[in-house]
Amino acid sequence: MRLMKLIGGIALAALMAVPGSAQTLRYATIGEPPSLDLQMGTATLASTIAQHMFEPLYAFDSSFAPQPYLVTGETISEDGKTIVLKLREGVKFHNGETMGADDVAASLNRWSEYGARGKLLALEKAEATGELEVTMTLAARNGAWKSILAYVNGGPVIYPAEIVTAAAGEPIAAENYVGTGPYKFGEMRPNRYVELVRFEDYTPNPGASDGKAGKRVANFDKLRFIPVPDVGTRVSGVQAGDYDYAEYISGDLYGLVKDDPAVKVKISAAPIFGLMFMNSKAGPLADNTKLRQAIMAALNMKQALQVSVGEPELYEASGSYFPEGNVWYTDAGTEKYNQGNPEKARALAKEAGYDGKPIRLLVSTNYKWHFDNASVFTRQLADAGINVQMVVVDWATLLQLRAQPDQWDMFMTHHSSIPDPVLLTVLNDNYPGWWQTDEKHALMEQFTGTSDLKTRQAAWEELQALIYEQLPVVKVGNNFSYDIASPDLKTSWENAPGFPHFWGATK
Amino acid sequence: MGRYVIRRTGAAIATLIAASIVIFAFIHLIPGDPVYVMLGDGATPDQVAALRDKMGLDEPLVAQYLIWAGNALQGDLGQSIFFETPVTQVILAGAETSILLALITMVWIIAFGVPVGILAAIRQGTMIDQGLSGLAMLLASVPTFWVGLYLILIFAAGLGWLPSSGYPSIFEQGGLANLSYLILPSLALAAPNAALILRLTRASMLDVAREDYVRTARAKGIRPSRVVLRHILRNALLAVVSAFGFTFAALISEAVVTETVFALPGVGRTVVQSIMRRDYPVIQGVILVIVCMFLVINLIVDLSYRLLDPRVELE
Repeated sequence: MRLMKLIGGIALAALMAVPGSAQTLRYATIGEPPSLDLQMGTATLASTIAQHMFEPLYAFDSSFAPQPYLVTGETISEDGKTIVLKLREGVKFHNGETMGADDVAASLNRWSEYGARGKLLALEKAEATGELEVTMTLAARNGAWKSILAYVNGGPVIYPAEIVTAAAGEPIAAENYVGTGPYKFGEMRPNRYVELVRFEDYTPNPGASDGKAGKRVANFDKLRFIPVPDVGTRVSGVQAGDYDYAEYISGDLYGLVKDDPAVKVKISAAPIFGLMFMNSKAGPLADNTKLRQAIMAALNMKQALQVSVGEPELYEASGSYFPEGNVWYTDAGTEKYNQGNPEKARALAKEAGYDGKPIRLLVSTNYKWHFDNASVFTRQLADAGINVQMVVVDWATLLQLRAQPDQWDMFMTHHSSIPDPVLLTVLNDNYPGWWQTDEKHALMEQFTGTSDLKTRQAAWEELQALIYEQLPVVKVGNNFSYDIASPDLKTSWENAPGFPHFWGATK
Repeated sequence: MGRYVIRRTGAAIATLIAASIVIFAFIHLIPGDPVYVMLGDGATPDQVAALRDKMGLDEPLVAQYLIWAGNALQGDLGQSIFFETPVTQVILAGAETSILLALITMVWIIAFGVPVGILAAIRQGTMIDQGLSGLAMLLASVPTFWVGLYLILIFAAGLGWLPSSGYPSIFEQGGLANLSYLILPSLALAAPNAALILRLTRASMLDVAREDYVRTARAKGIRPSRVVLRHILRNALLAVVSAFGFTFAALISEAVVTETVFALPGVGRTVVQSIMRRDYPVIQGVILVIVCMFLVINLIVDLSYRLLDPRVELE
């Protein structure tokens, strides 16, 4: 009896000494994720977590080219509207079943009908035309189809047919999180953590690991995502060894952590960029391109970025919507970026017949950098005689107000890095701002009407120039967010991808 | 006594109903719509309308209130929009942390605030009194998050003695040892409150010490320690105890900052984040529970007056 007590005591002491065991990755998140049903939402955190469980048909390699992932290849009809996908054989779901053509067809159809980005592909239907063959029929040729299938954020990841059919337009409930990924769902506890557990029967892609493409190896037994809302605590948590990784560390702490041997800085490989949308449907800016150009002429982006970001290594005043080196990079139209010329702005505003009526700029305090950018812009525009009235609300209110065209003239938001211009919100006719000019529609037709990269690149170049001419939106600049990791954590990437993944990682 | 309890309970229920109407009205009056928060950037007007309909947000406000209040009476506080689990479950998940944090904090407050307050009072005007009063001012005026961050820097990141953040339940692996996660947050939370109790204890001790019966007691030659403990302290405690009641209830609702800094899964943080997400059922449920707690604790405090001071008539 005494011996048992002693052994029990030692065991308990051992458990206490190793909190969480060495085989668990502890990731400090900025908050709580919403539903992890990737098809239905576009929250970054949900994608970061759920990409370990749910997998797409194609996956981006390190150069952002989509590679076959759950498929082995495809054949495309002459008119580009019929695409036949060949599926990988023997891929196991977390519930033990094998992935078949009906699962893929059901997942694609549900995503196309209800998914957050489901309308992008204009998929008419997906049918199982063989045991391992799915035929997609598109309403029109879509040059970006592979990238759209590969983008997991609001994208068509594959679930078992019965789950996806039962869920239809509702987000899939946590107990039905079944995918094909290297980790399966463990448990989700409000305010405490979301835990994923290694899937022992995982069927890896046979290709070599490259970006998100190829083989995925799960070294950790568990991945635990812990909400730690205070950034100071995320930093000291990594320093103290309580977390292995912490996301979104603020710019003002950069000087402190970059030389700290207790943490490793992971600057994002995927800059996010601030945007100021203009209302193309109602209000003083709707039909007044000259006035928009006056606003553009007044703005000095560098000044705004200095205030909102500060640390020079963490921002870049660039007007291009894609970073240099990316296949979509072009500087078309960017001569109009970062002018900071109040005299020119004043002259243009006069030409535009601007009468000093206040222009309402909707901005949220939840993102301090949005607010900082807006404050700097308001000052710069005042110097050019343009009267901007900031409407400061919280994020939930902003989302509601911006859906109503008569409530605002401009609003601040941001955009994450994306693999293809087709995913830019401003190109979506229904996104608040409602940019729907004939010139845009003509170029969009060229852009999506072909799979030929050269033609699409040329069309995008003109589109970017058109954005700078008609100004449905103003790009502020690139922000490089950064994460920190414990020096012991070895990941398969150096700079943090848009959605950091931890297959292939060890500690 | 019995009649008093019944009357007080009746008043408490009336307060509760009034509070529930105010909570409900205010939450629905602030702009912002949970539907937009949930659906995100790409939502089409059709999707927004369908979800609003499903969540019953299209019903008139009065009807929404009656449905909610009716369910609440049966112990059903509704379903969290964000977590998609019952609100009672969300509150229970946070309750353990919040209650334990408040209890441990109370221990620090009582263990530090009362004795040090007594010491300052009996050494009134000396260097000790001035030093302690100065310390109390300092603790009361430094923001909790600042104290919290420094405690983490020193004891977690620097010395590595205590965990920096989070709190695994004591019912899980680790057991009671998990209470170590609450030491730094409770110290941060206790600092300003202990300082207030210290000041209050000192002030009421000095008030009572000027009473005639204290002078009489001293004149009769009663031992000074007995005068302090029996004659002064017992009478001075009356004010301090009612402050305990408020402090304890306030600790639960005011712990928001501490819970955020230490990433604790408590009720305070849940309610603040729910406001950001416009998760109406959670906000309503949590505030209702907090109001209930205030009412119950106040009732207990009022009843305890009688125990401390037989002269108090509960009528």
